[in-house]
Amino acid sequence: MILPIARKEFLDAWRDGRFRWAAAIMVALLGVALLLAWQQVGRTRAERAAAATIERENWLNQGEKNSHSAGHFGVYVFKPLPPLAVFDRGLEPFVGTTVFLEAHRQNQAAFLPAQDATAMRRFGELTAATGLQLLAPLLIVLLTFGALAGERERGTLRQVLSLGVRPRDLVLGKALGLGVALAVLLLPVALFGAVALAKLPGGDAAGGWIRLAWLGGAYALYLAAILAGCLAVSAVAPTARAALATLLVCWAANAVLAPRLASDLAQRVLPTPKLVEFETAMNKAVQEGLDGHNPRNDRLQAFAQETLKKHGKTRIEELPFNFNGLVMLESERMANEVFDHHFGKLWDRLEAQDRTVTWTGLVAPLLGLRSASMALAGTDFTQHRHFSVAAEQHRRDFVRVLNEDMMNNTDGGHHGGTAGRALWEKLPAFRYDPPPPAHALRAATPGLMVLLLWAAGAWAALLLVAPRLKPN
Amino acid sequence: MTLFKLEFRLLARERAAWIVLALFAAALGYGIWNGGRVAGRQREAATALTRSSEEFLGQVKQALGQQAIDPKAVAGRGTMAVLPPAPLPLLATGQSDLSPGHESVVLWRLAASGDTRSELENPSHLLAGRFDLAFVLVWLFPLFLLALTYDLMAGDRESGTLRLALAQGISPWRWMARRALARSLPMLVLAALATLAAGFFSGPGGGGLRVVLALAVVLAYGLFWVALAVAVNVVARSAASAATSLGAAWVLLVLVAPTLLNVTVETLHPTPSRPELVAAGRKASGEAEERGGELLNSFYRDHPELAPPGQQADFAAQHLTVQTEVGRAVEPVRQKFDEQLARQQAAVGQWRFVSPAIAAHEALTDLAGTGYWRHRAFREQVNDFKKTVSDFYTPKIHLRQTLTLADYERLPRFDFREESTAAWLNRTGTGLAGMLAFAGVLSAWAWQRMRPAKLGALAS
Repeated sequence: MILPIARKEFLDAWRDGRFRWAAAIMVALLGVALLLAWQQVGRTRAERAAAATIERENWLNQGEKNSHSAGHFGVYVFKPLPPLAVFDRGLEPFVGTTVFLEAHRQNQAAFLPAQDATAMRRFGELTAATGLQLLAPLLIVLLTFGALAGERERGTLRQVLSLGVRPRDLVLGKALGLGVALAVLLLPVALFGAVALAKLPGGDAAGGWIRLAWLGGAYALYLAAILAGCLAVSAVAPTARAALATLLVCWAANAVLAPRLASDLAQRVLPTPKLVEFETAMNKAVQEGLDGHNPRNDRLQAFAQETLKKHGKTRIEELPFNFNGLVMLESERMANEVFDHHFGKLWDRLEAQDRTVTWTGLVAPLLGLRSASMALAGTDFTQHRHFSVAAEQHRRDFVRVLNEDMMNNTDGGHHGGTAGRALWEKLPAFRYDPPPPAHALRAATPGLMVLLLWAAGAWAALLLVAPRLKPN
Repeated sequence: MTLFKLEFRLLARERAAWIVLALFAAALGYGIWNGGRVAGRQREAATALTRSSEEFLGQVKQALGQQAIDPKAVAGRGTMAVLPPAPLPLLATGQSDLSPGHESVVLWRLAASGDTRSELENPSHLLAGRFDLAFVLVWLFPLFLLALTYDLMAGDRESGTLRLALAQGISPWRWMARRALARSLPMLVLAALATLAAGFFSGPGGGGLRVVLALAVVLAYGLFWVALAVAVNVVARSAASAATSLGAAWVLLVLVAPTLLNVTVETLHPTPSRPELVAAGRKASGEAEERGGELLNSFYRDHPELAPPGQQADFAAQHLTVQTEVGRAVEPVRQKFDEQLARQQAAVGQWRFVSPAIAAHEALTDLAGTGYWRHRAFREQVNDFKKTVSDFYTPKIHLRQTLTLADYERLPRFDFREESTAAWLNRTGTGLAGMLAFAGVLSAWAWQRMRPAKLGALAS
């Protein structure tokens, strides 16, 4: 009995002028969003690659200089935009694009694209992801609010049930019919997205297809949960108008209020440290050690004694290498411990905040979906962190090579001696390998769990209310 | 008047109306409180930075009282340029959580493009946006307003009571206008009170004119939505269809239009590439550094008055010359960058009228002093200040002069000059006029549809 009902519901939906209009607008918006994002992401990727090439030239052509001066000259690296940003730009506008790698310091990624954009960006961005997150649920509300409550109002529900149709079959048939109507609408968009991804150079790197498949699953869960939830409301609401009012209030709470309130909550429970406090604590730890009781000079003094003992010498000048270079290596090592500790703590905190927001998704499914979607698209914080760590690792390698050169190829006792292009070429260009899909999947797990719970809960609710369908 | 009173009493008997009003009041209160917390944090940071700058200057003065000091010691520490707290920060957080509110201007790093952040923020929170008063007023206010006014006439048409009501001989326009006013008045009053409260709690920096204008913007925005509800009710067949149309209008104007404008502007005037600017600056500095000695020599040829005794240039002088050269070389690229950004913003200014929500948001953040314009003024003034710093210290360093107590009063200090009243008045006035025009056009259309001659069409 389910299939004929589904068929009828599907045809009804397609013949409804309001649905056709709303669907046309939504598909047009999704198409425009994908097309423009495809163009924009392609341009941004090309720009950043071009900047990286120029910067590599800058590094190689910096001329003859002391290798430590080259450490201060430093290198800029630029974050490559993940290809799936075409679908969901996620945090990309709000995280830095550029990291300055220099001796002695770990810098944060700077220059947020949103800082260079107009204030319009704060209204949100038109991407295929936001279209599916915010507008598709509205379309579902429009499709479903009258599905059962409207039939009850018109009296047709009593007729249908008097024919001996099982209420459960009726409800499931409607869900199936409307679900298929929605799928017919969205599948071409998904296909278009896949083609766009394939056309982007390097688009299939970092497991693009696997990520895309999981994205499809996450959005299917979200929309299925909403479809079932809306039908359940329509099943119990006394009138179509009441169902519509309830669903619109739920939509606004989910789409408009929840993201902001959840951020406030996360900030309240797990406050972000202030920049001044963060930097002061870090600089202090560099000088006085992580425990605060081990001044840098004492540690370096002890290190000098140890080195002399190891080489069986009594004076630094007798060492077979430039001791200053070794001191540089050692002090970088000590500072890196501090950076690892402090940046690690800060980033852990931000990730914990994001997890809090994701789990708040148990009240508003959008939060779960948003988190899973960004994670799978490669535009969430964990993947920005992955980039920051890779950039920092490059800094450490590059500073180490320079300091080793100073240690082994310059005179002892002073910072003198110059190096040239041969040394600069020894340092490989920064190449960033985005994390594998497994990383994205791990980051997306809490969001996917939230969605799974929502889908299970909504369908259970629908099956629970279906047998008790009241004809009036 | 009796009609107005009657409608008002009817509204007062609706339990749902009270719930809607209470929720709106709660959202307004939370918005102000939340905006206040952000503003408080920013004020604290600005005060702390200003205090530490003043402390340092105090130490410099004390040291200068005892002996002359090397200008490099003062210039190297840098001068903090601080954007003072906004005039009405509780009205809108705007861009203040994203655009830097202070910058340390250090003589040695005038040409470098450093980190542009002044606070640690979780990027997800920036993405989500703030629950501030502007959010409640621009996004939620229309929703709450429509919840009370979506059914002004459509429901009566549906149930047939409209014919009865119009048969009483009352002008439909008056009937509708009073009804709309009675049902929206409590909301408008609440929104106005919240705007006044934001002005009051923002402290004395605000100035009455900004609050008055903000009030006008909020009321005009509210009136636009009421006018839209009236216009939709003139044609809607049923209360449900009126509600659906108004809901769709909200989605299109508040949710979709700004994002569409965003992508359009981004496509027409793409944001210039910051990485390219950085790389270009580096290229210039690499080249200038290589020619460091040569540059300095030609500098001294052009400025013999600045050549130090014995023509022996030191490291600091060479660095400054290189830096000036880098600044000169990068200037055209930077100018192109800034021009492109200005074109983007100009496009937004022109197209903000596609949706009153955009116009209202731009006007409110502008009035709050947390929008694009005040931050741009700050950036420009910091750039000018860098020149002041360079003009003051560079000759002294070339000539190996020392700082004396007489120099103390002339040490470069950053003082932010607020924009002229005429400038922001002009921008927000245009926005306000645009919103009133929107409301006016809708009302005029509704009015002509409700002329007595069209009574028949109206009632059925």
